[in-house]
Amino acid sequence: MKTLLIGEYREGKLLDTTYELFGFARQLGAETAMLLVGSASQLPACSGPLYLADASQCGEYSPDLHKQLILDAVQKENPDYIVFIHSSYGWDLAPRVATRLKAAQVSEVIGLSNNAFEVGCCNAKMRRTVKPATGKAVITIQAGAFPVLQPGGTPQVQTVTATAAGNLTFVGYEPAEAKDVDLAKAEVIVTAGRGVGKKENVPVIQALAKALGGELGASRPVVDAGWVEHSHQVGTTGQSVSPKLYIACGVSGAIQHLAGMKKSDFIVAINKDKDAPIGEIADVLVVADVLQFVPALTAKVSA
Amino acid sequence: MFLELTEEQKLIQDTARVFARAELEPVAATLDQSDDRTPMLANLKRLAELGFMGLNVRDTYGGAEAGVIAFSVAMTEIARACASTAVTVSVNNMACEVIQAIGSEEQKRAYIPKICSGEFAAASFALTETCAGSDPSGMVTTATDDGDAWVLNGSKIFITSAPYAGVFVVWAVTNKEAPKGKGISCFLVEGGTSGLLVGKEERKMGQHASATNELVFDNCRIPKSALMGKLNDGFRTAVAELAGGRIGIGSLGLGVGLAAMDHATRYVTERSQFGQKISSFQAIQWKIADSYTELEAARLLLMNAAFRKEQGKPFSKEASMAKMFATEAANRACYQALQMLGGYGYTRDFPLERYARDVRVTSIYEGTNEIQRVIIAREILRNFA
Amino acid sequence: MKLLVCIKQVPDMESRFRPNSQGIWFDENDLAWRMNEYDEYAVEQAVQLREQVGDSAELTVLSIGPDRVVEAIKKSLAMGCDRAVHIRDDHAATKDPWQIASIIAAYAKGQGFDLIFTGMQSQDRGSAQVGVTLAEELGYACATTLVGFAYGDGTVTAKRELEGGIKGVVKLATPALVTCQLGLNVPRYPTLPNIMKAKKKEIEVIAVADLLTEQPLTATTSFHPPARKGGGVVLEGDVGVLVEQLVGILKDKTAVLR
Repeated sequence: MKTLLIGEYREGKLLDTTYELFGFARQLGAETAMLLVGSASQLPACSGPLYLADASQCGEYSPDLHKQLILDAVQKENPDYIVFIHSSYGWDLAPRVATRLKAAQVSEVIGLSNNAFEVGCCNAKMRRTVKPATGKAVITIQAGAFPVLQPGGTPQVQTVTATAAGNLTFVGYEPAEAKDVDLAKAEVIVTAGRGVGKKENVPVIQALAKALGGELGASRPVVDAGWVEHSHQVGTTGQSVSPKLYIACGVSGAIQHLAGMKKSDFIVAINKDKDAPIGEIADVLVVADVLQFVPALTAKVSA
Repeated sequence: MFLELTEEQKLIQDTARVFARAELEPVAATLDQSDDRTPMLANLKRLAELGFMGLNVRDTYGGAEAGVIAFSVAMTEIARACASTAVTVSVNNMACEVIQAIGSEEQKRAYIPKICSGEFAAASFALTETCAGSDPSGMVTTATDDGDAWVLNGSKIFITSAPYAGVFVVWAVTNKEAPKGKGISCFLVEGGTSGLLVGKEERKMGQHASATNELVFDNCRIPKSALMGKLNDGFRTAVAELAGGRIGIGSLGLGVGLAAMDHATRYVTERSQFGQKISSFQAIQWKIADSYTELEAARLLLMNAAFRKEQGKPFSKEASMAKMFATEAANRACYQALQMLGGYGYTRDFPLERYARDVRVTSIYEGTNEIQRVIIAREILRNFA
Repeated sequence: MKLLVCIKQVPDMESRFRPNSQGIWFDENDLAWRMNEYDEYAVEQAVQLREQVGDSAELTVLSIGPDRVVEAIKKSLAMGCDRAVHIRDDHAATKDPWQIASIIAAYAKGQGFDLIFTGMQSQDRGSAQVGVTLAEELGYACATTLVGFAYGDGTVTAKRELEGGIKGVVKLATPALVTCQLGLNVPRYPTLPNIMKAKKKEIEVIAVADLLTEQPLTATTSFHPPARKGGGVVLEGDVGVLVEQLVGILKDKTAVLR
């Protein structure tokens, strides 16, 4: 079985997500070839064929041209699967390639099951098992669903290029805007509960939030005490949130609080009290002193 | 027999639901606790722009021409989020409908578009007096013919939206000698008219964001053209129109009852005691079964009354039945829902105590439920006499 | 100028989803239906462009599905679309994105649409394929995941949302197709008078059999809930060990730590 992996490169950098493609191929037990529109100075650490197009020539985002590069590589490699990350690059390009090949496409794969693929649906509440009905298939994999794998080695680089007349011109990038606290959009929330003890300890929690690229949340007693501003409050009188990761530090788990965060994808509770109600809905309950554990975790995450 | 909303009615229900969830619900608790009505007035303006102030009003006057069923389902959705906003919307709709029913063409063109568009924040009905509540024909406010003007003297109480109403529909005695109810006429008085004073605001149990005030007429001069409908015939015609308002209030009550039960039902599926979800206890299940059954019956009664009104059939008995049953079912549902949350239900961290306070008045205003029973019994007995 | 916006009706995402009797999609009974959220952004943007261009533009809304989708179509009409096409298909849910795109392409081919709007994905199926595939089949320029849109002189200037809040700015010459993302605009509420007036707008009904020529390229073999979380893990012991354990679990179970 052979996969053609489509690497990602943006703003002059090879993106780390590229290595998740190898993680996927390993689970599939497939050989790998890669196509990358990037730079010779930033080659992925892998062996096997690497079709390398120069991004300064072919553009970082030029879908019609990149589509042609992929189609050329498909012809040379004859892969079973052409694999993208389900990203703004991958979901944009994959259907163009699939249509040209008249190949099945399975989007945002999160797992494998007997020659078929697991995908989420209905706002991630449900799953589907999808089977391609064509010999070749285009796959996009959900970012983070497969392990990062750096195969190591040196790729056999073949420099490629293509020309394609498209009606799309890439103008440039706009940097992300500085944003206010928006817990509803945060992917990670680290919440301070009464167990942090006093206002002076809040920065300990904030540091973990920052290290995880997330936002600081707060339970109501912490807000009422004036330790944290109300805009950070999670719960029925604050905001309802559903981040990918919710870490409750010293939050006992009053029902008002639980109502505001129980839809989080993954919940970690750190509490001295093994019987704290937050434990009922937590995926992981760490029985520890917040002020000892959180700084140690922050240090580990930042390392 | 087809018990399904049309696509247009569903879209109106959906628009009301989405708007209420996004815009009304987030401010409802704050409005309940604060004296600042700015957010509600802003939302009323937006509701007007969407067409919610004249659901059953003709397009010519700026209405939506959506009918009575659409009015009922919209009221229910708005009340699910904020009963204070809902009652204002209901009264505005009824003001438009009364003017449309008995006003002159000039009056219709002068006032209905302003209520529908939100140019007027609200419209008010001024009927009740201190000594004329369930028996409004006992009113003593007078309107005297003074040549080129009518002069109003007296006072009204419990006037919804009075501080920000652009126009008041006012009933006053024009012939003191006439038999009871035969000497009352109906007038349109613009807000800000000299001699029209908005008096003290009632401090109520619930529905805090909706203002309820005393209204004083102190030699209030209004033009002769302000008379609406026939002289001395205002009471009969206009009060008959008010039956439509009962569909509005019943629908409002239903909305509050559903909001309470939906909240409580979600809660009991999450709350554990004795090692299991409390929804697994029969004591809780019976509350769910009873309340939702009563609310469903209320909804069907309301739909029937609305359907009859929309079809131009007599609907006063059905409107009274629906109002009476729906508001009482909603009161029971709110109390059961509060009980399902136990001690939490009694705190302000949850909306149940607000629902219970807000719903209480629905069995009182737009005619007490005792009066509804009088109307229902009279209608039934007439067929046996 | 001819504009097309493609919409899908999906269940309210707050619904409880149960597998249907074949076990390959959800049971449609007792579901409340809405317009797909991303399609609302598409309709709003299309209506804004229709208003910008004026009466020389005509905006058609298209939806595939059983009779219930007429409600979503009517909402689009009430929001400002001029006319509608309902491709009637009681089995739309069993068709894969390739077939859906091909059905729309079969309709749109030769109609001379200058611009086509779609949502970036559906909330229920979430494949994010139909828009791009349709563009590819029609040979249209295409940009996905729009959070910004401007049109002038036959050129669309689009802002694409990239990861981490960065935006990519692209220009497309018409004919073009764009897929719309949350943040592009704030969809208007349809006003009640417009809901009532939309009754008078044309809804052309086409049987799906008249447009469908393609076989599916994928098969759904199962529709099921995610594996249930076993009860939570309780970690106790030395802080240093606990940190290692937790980081291991987070790397394994979440996409947050790498």
